[in-house]
Amino acid sequence: MLLGLAVSALMLLFLGENPVTAMGTLFGSLFRDSYTFADVFVKATPLMFTALAFALTFQANLFNIGAQGQFYIGAVTAVWLSLLLQDRVPGALVLVIVGLATILTGGLWGGSIGWLKARFNANEFLVSMMSTYVALNIMNYLLRTWLLEGKGEYPQTDPLERVVWLPTILPGTRLHGGFILALLACIGIWVLLYKTPLGFRIRAVGQGRDAAALAGINYKTLYVAAFFISGALAALGGFVEVNGAQHMLVQGFNPDVGAAGIGIAILANGNPIGIIFASILFGALKVGGTIMGQLAGIPSSFTEVMLGSVMVFVILGYFVREKLDERREKAKLKKAVSA
Amino acid sequence: MSETPFVELRNISKYFAKVVANQDVSLEIRKGEVLALLGENGAGKSTIMKVLYGLYRADEGQILVDGEVQTIHSPKDAMQLGIAMIQQHFALVQAHTVTENIILGLVRGRYDLRHYDRVVADLAAQHGFDVDPTAVVSDLPVGIQQKVEILKALYQNAQLLIMDEPTAVLTPQESAVLMNFVQQNTRAGKAVVFITHKLREVMEVADRIVVMRGGRVVGDLPKRETDELELSKLMVGREIHERTYVEDKLPDHQAVGLELQNVSIRDPKEDVYHIRDISLQVHEGEILGIAGVSGNGQDALCDALSGYRRLSEGKILLNGQDISNTDARERIRLGLGYVPSDRQRFGLITPMKLTENMFLKRSYERVWRRRALIDQKRLDAYTAEKIRAYDIKATGPDAVARSLSGGNQQKVVLAREVDLGSKVIVFDQPTRGLDLGAMDNIHRTILNEKRQGKAILLISTELSEIFGLSDRIAVIYRGEIVGIYRNHDLDTQKIGLLMAGYTPGAVSETR
Repeated sequence: MLLGLAVSALMLLFLGENPVTAMGTLFGSLFRDSYTFADVFVKATPLMFTALAFALTFQANLFNIGAQGQFYIGAVTAVWLSLLLQDRVPGALVLVIVGLATILTGGLWGGSIGWLKARFNANEFLVSMMSTYVALNIMNYLLRTWLLEGKGEYPQTDPLERVVWLPTILPGTRLHGGFILALLACIGIWVLLYKTPLGFRIRAVGQGRDAAALAGINYKTLYVAAFFISGALAALGGFVEVNGAQHMLVQGFNPDVGAAGIGIAILANGNPIGIIFASILFGALKVGGTIMGQLAGIPSSFTEVMLGSVMVFVILGYFVREKLDERREKAKLKKAVSA
Repeated sequence: MSETPFVELRNISKYFAKVVANQDVSLEIRKGEVLALLGENGAGKSTIMKVLYGLYRADEGQILVDGEVQTIHSPKDAMQLGIAMIQQHFALVQAHTVTENIILGLVRGRYDLRHYDRVVADLAAQHGFDVDPTAVVSDLPVGIQQKVEILKALYQNAQLLIMDEPTAVLTPQESAVLMNFVQQNTRAGKAVVFITHKLREVMEVADRIVVMRGGRVVGDLPKRETDELELSKLMVGREIHERTYVEDKLPDHQAVGLELQNVSIRDPKEDVYHIRDISLQVHEGEILGIAGVSGNGQDALCDALSGYRRLSEGKILLNGQDISNTDARERIRLGLGYVPSDRQRFGLITPMKLTENMFLKRSYERVWRRRALIDQKRLDAYTAEKIRAYDIKATGPDAVARSLSGGNQQKVVLAREVDLGSKVIVFDQPTRGLDLGAMDNIHRTILNEKRQGKAILLISTELSEIFGLSDRIAVIYRGEIVGIYRNHDLDTQKIGLLMAGYTPGAVSETR
């Protein structure tokens, strides 16, 4: 990760900027006021959900690359139900109904990927990736038809009424209850994975499928279960983003939460508690990067470059670590044999 | 021999991440000779040949071809030196015709397929192969596909043909044709390496035999100077020492714990039986040993018992209850313990803690839960108790299984399965790769469980183990039980012949 920051700094040099001051601005600006500081956590919130989505399936040795799509499915469900119910049902009740409904739709969306894997041994990597495009286009279609705003001008929905917003938890900032929900989700998934029989089975299948199968654990059912939970998590991310931060649905919003989630999950080594911190770090980079763009005259697209290079190095680091481990084992073996 | 051998391997070693696959292997392959590479599964036969063929790179050692040191980085390099290898799983493009497969990678630009069809047809006729060059590979039976592979090697004028278990997928008639070809081919001055674990084939086709065990060469003998008995001893390992078996009362009057009735597993695609028509009974308080050279259906038998694979035919009864159609989970619940031979793949989840490995087969049991969560306290206490009882060398219940030595890992599996297998325990190669101390420890556990009145099935390729523990011994050969004997009715010679595929009748005549 540090390597990623270093490379970004190098690139800043090429842009003719002083990397030290730029980085200074990046992190310094975060603390200039409570609004900016709180925004770090606002940005981190959906990332925690998509990272959890990737991490959970990753523990079962499955790859859910489609958190982006599941996120959109959740967002669409949330905005549609909220608009439908906001005038008829009390706000708090709407939020509960919407939350449960997104779990269901996202879960079914994700679960179907798991089912395809279990039933036909379809490659879940590809299926989940492609399902993102399906979800994206469903969202775009709905935004131009059923969900199109009253004015009919832009592909976006009408804003949600205040009663169905997730309540703000820090007055004067955008920080909303979704962040608490995300924290709870991280802790909940940690408990699920490490404290319950179901989570144990998910990890057992992920780390030793053959031994798990001999132990009577049906990995096919678990594939579906893991993908269901994973899809539901990503969809919840869509829900909190819509009802907490955006308060409407705009075409093509947050197009990188899925990819960033993967990076965060790998950075956290699949650990839900680690995801909390990794997400906040990514949130900080995002917010700080935007400000850096505004203040230091560095193109704002540079934030993306920076995030990208951090992520690439995080992922590379994972493989390098594995390779080093293997080499160490081999050297040990050689020594033992010659001794 | 004064002539330079075609290929010479000098002191080759190959390590994989966790295992030594080949250790200091040296051997020669001479022109005009069939060399059989004999050994049990996992002895390193295929690995050493894959090194020669450029699929693996040796960590140490040299390869000489025609007396010159060569580096072979890929099959392409090997091919240029005239070395071809036919893998156990064929490397053919299923959607292409025979000719297209043969010339694949050897033609450039525009080419006349008809012309090559004729070339291939001639080549096939020349070697007495009945292969249609225009047929699509996916339509061909396995035996013919193998011929296509051979033709491909011949077309490239390979001087050395390596065949990895070539008869595994063939019918006896097809095998005969193949043997015939192999002998013809070598008469023309070419060399063939035949990788196999079947003694009979070796005696039929080989000129010279290299025996491998545990990644090393343990014997290099001309066929004239050896016999099947010697080879089987070399292959299986140590000579059998004195018997440790103390005969208890034979438990014929006891109830039957485990019964197999005409059990078969057939490979649906290849129409080959992995095990065929196996019937046996294991009584309570009895150890039934299954002896055999590895690769004769032991794996399929274990899969059938554990519920890992479904039976094609037959029934399995546990205490008289038919469990043929139950899954692994239900069999565990009914009290079937199973100690698999590959403990790192099937017995344990090595990156997990010991507690988690103890919990592995119990994740559905209510008693291990408190509210919805795993009862960690109870699990820790239970694991700690087992660590004490079985004298497992580990830092504690939280130690990762991978950090334990092989013997201690096996004790963990044993501790779990002995508890789970309240009625029947199946042991598959329980002491494979373990030192004498650990071995003795495990043998004592097995005998102890027998005295508790459990029915025990012991599958082993170690004859000393079979003779040392079993009350009765069944011999498995090519997926079939060739006979079941009382321990004292068998001796080393007799069992050696049975394991090599002689019929019981022939065996008694040789006595």
